[in-house]
Amino acid sequence: MTTPAPHAAATPPLSPALRAFESQWLARDSTQSSTQSAQPDPLTVLRQNAMQRVLRLGLPTTRDETWRYTNLRHLTSHGFIEAPPSAAGVLQPTASLSLVGVDELAATVLMINGYPVLPDGIDAFFNGIEITSLRDLSRLDPALVAAHLEPLSDADQARWALVNAALFQDGLYLKVTGKVKTPLVILHVSTAEAANQIAHPRVIIEAAPGSSATIIEHHVEQGTHRPLCNSATHVAAGRDSKLEHYRVFATSAGAEHIDSLTLRLGGNSLCKQFTIALGGGLVRTSLEADLCQPGASLEAYSLLVGHEARHVDCVNIVTHSARETRSRQTARAIASGTSRVVFNSKVVVNAGAAQTDSQQSCRGLLLSTTAEIDTRPQLEIHADEVKCSHGATTGRLDPDMLFYMLSRGLDRETAQSLLVYAFLADVLTGMSVPSARSAIEDALIAQLPDSQILNKFR
Amino acid sequence: MLLKITDLSVRVAGKDILKGVNLEVRRGEIHAIMGPNGSGKSTLAQVLAGRADYEVTGGSVTFEGQDLLALPAEERARAGLFLGFQYPVEIPGVNNVYLLKAALNAKRKAAGQPEVDAYEFLALIKQKMRLMQMSESFLSRGVNEGFSGGEKKRNEVLQMLVLEPTLAILDETDSGLDIDALKVVSMGVNSLRDPNRAVVLVTHYQRLLGYIVPDYVHVLSGGRILKSGDRSLALELERRGYDWVQQESKVA
Repeated sequence: MTTPAPHAAATPPLSPALRAFESQWLARDSTQSSTQSAQPDPLTVLRQNAMQRVLRLGLPTTRDETWRYTNLRHLTSHGFIEAPPSAAGVLQPTASLSLVGVDELAATVLMINGYPVLPDGIDAFFNGIEITSLRDLSRLDPALVAAHLEPLSDADQARWALVNAALFQDGLYLKVTGKVKTPLVILHVSTAEAANQIAHPRVIIEAAPGSSATIIEHHVEQGTHRPLCNSATHVAAGRDSKLEHYRVFATSAGAEHIDSLTLRLGGNSLCKQFTIALGGGLVRTSLEADLCQPGASLEAYSLLVGHEARHVDCVNIVTHSARETRSRQTARAIASGTSRVVFNSKVVVNAGAAQTDSQQSCRGLLLSTTAEIDTRPQLEIHADEVKCSHGATTGRLDPDMLFYMLSRGLDRETAQSLLVYAFLADVLTGMSVPSARSAIEDALIAQLPDSQILNKFR
Repeated sequence: MLLKITDLSVRVAGKDILKGVNLEVRRGEIHAIMGPNGSGKSTLAQVLAGRADYEVTGGSVTFEGQDLLALPAEERARAGLFLGFQYPVEIPGVNNVYLLKAALNAKRKAAGQPEVDAYEFLALIKQKMRLMQMSESFLSRGVNEGFSGGEKKRNEVLQMLVLEPTLAILDETDSGLDIDALKVVSMGVNSLRDPNRAVVLVTHYQRLLGYIVPDYVHVLSGGRILKSGDRSLALELERRGYDWVQQESKVA
C-alpha cells in the first residue's frame, strides 16, 4: 500500500536565473520602499505582483505548451546581471540592415539595452508622436504605465514578459496622436561588457483614436559580448487607428532573444504586424493579440529564416473577443543547415465574437535534409457564425517548378534562389513602407544561399 | 542529323514506358508524334528535355552529334533544345519577364555572347507578344500565375519565339485551345519554321496538323514507334483511329 503523495510544494525550486531575478527585484524594492510613502502607487503594486507570479510559476521549460520545441535550460542554469545602460566606446552597432532610407526621412530613436537615448526636443522633429521615457512616465503617471502592463497573465508564453514587467528600468512610451506618414525606427542595440548579462527593453505604443503610424523595432548588437535580450512591447490601438508595426531581429549567431508582443486592438482599428527573424542564435517571439472591440482587424506576417545552427520559435495567439473582427496570419518559414524553425499559431474565438473572420496560412520550406520546421495551427471556437480557416504545409522546393526553370536554361542555383525568393513574396508584398521592404529584402537575401544571384532579380 | 534517337528505353516510377524508340530529325523538318493516351508521348518529350527522375534504361540520343543524355536539362536548353510543356507549371512570385530574360541570357552566355540589353529585350518581347496576341499585363505577372489554359500555351510559344531554339519539342501545345487560340499558336510555330531548325509536335489530334503541316508523322504506341509516314498518315489516323496501327504491327 502506498501513502498518498504530499501535495507538491506551492513553488517549484527556483532556477539560478530566477534566483538572480529575485535578488535584483529585492534590491530594487528595498530602495523603492525606503523612498516612498506608505501607500505604494499602482505601478509598484503591479510590478510586485509580476515578480511574485513568476516566482510562483517558475520560468517556462519544455514541459510548457508553447515552449515544447525551445529549451532554455542553458539560460536558466546560471544567474544574470543587468546589462549597462550605455555602450562602451563609440556606438557603431553591427546592423545587418539599415532601415533608415535615404529618400525617406525616417526618424530613429536609440535604445541601448532598453535605455532610451532621447535628445532634447525630439518632438520638434517628430510631429504626431509623443515620445517619453518610461522612467520619467513611471514617476509622473504610474497608473498610465500600469494600465499598459495589465492584465498580467499566468500563460507560459507570457512568463518572460512578467520578468520584464518586474525588472525593466526604463523604456519608451510612444503616443501616436496624428496621422504620421514617416516611419519611426526604434533601434535597439544590445551590448554587454561580459557574459551572463540581461536586458529588459520595454516599449509601449499607444495609438490615439483615428491616428496612424508605422513603427519599426529593429534589434541589432554591438561588441563581442551581448546580453540576453528579454524585450516586451505592448501596442494599444485606439478606435479607427491604423498601425504598422515591425519587429526585426538581425543579430548574429551568438545573440539570444526572447521577445513578447501584446496587441490590444480597438474598434475598427487596423494593425499590420511583421515579425522578421533574420538572425540570432536563438530567437523566440510571441504575439498575443486581443481584438477586443467590433471591427478590429489584424494582419500578422511572420518571416522566419533559420540557417546554420539557428533556432527560431514563433508563437502567435490571436483572440477574437468582439463581433465582426478579422485576423489574417501569414507565416513563411525557411530552414537550411541544421537550423530549426517553429511556428505555432492559435486563433481563439470567444463566445459573443460572432462574424469573426480569421485565416491562418503557414508554409515552410526546407532547404536541407538536416533542418527542421514544426508548424502547428490551432483553432478554438466558442461562438457561432464564424469563418475560420487554417492551413499549414512544409516541403522542399517544388521539383516541377525547378525542372521548368532548368528546361529554360537557368542554372540550378539561380532557379533555386528564385523559388526561395518567390516563396517569401506573400510576406514582402504586404509591407507598405518601400524603404523598410527594400532594406528587409536586402538583409533577407544576404542570409539566403546564392545571394549574389538573387540580387540580380530585384 | 539534328536529333538521332536510337533504341531509347525509359522507365518511370518502376514502369517501362518507352521500349526502344527510334527517330531521326533533320534541320528544316517538322515531325508529328501521335498516339493514344498513355503511349509514352509525353515521357519522350520530357526525357529529351532532361527530366531527372525518368530513368533511361537503354539506347542513346544525340543532338547535333553530342550525347544529349549526358547533359543536364539546363545545358540542353542552352544548346538549343526547347520543350513546350503540356501542363506549364505556375510559379507565383517569379516574374514572367525575369524568367525569360534569365533564360535568354543563360543561352547567350553559353554561346559567348554578352547579356541582352534591357531595352532591346523589352522591345523584342513586346513584338513577340503582339504576334501571340497577349496583353501587356502579362509583363508584370508571375510565371503562368493565374493564366488560363490557353494563355499558358501561348506563353510557351512566346518563350520559344524569344529563345529561338534549334529544336522545339511541343508537347500537346494544341490541347485545350479554342480555334482562335489554335490559329495564333500555329502562327507562332510557323514563324519559327526555317531551314536551320526543326520542330517535333507531340499531339493527340490531327487538328493542329491542319495549321502546322508536318513533313513526317509517327505513331507512338506501347512505348514504340509503330508506323511512320507523311501528312496522309495523320488523316488516316483521324479517320480510322489507332487500333489498326496496333493490329498491323502485331501481325508484322
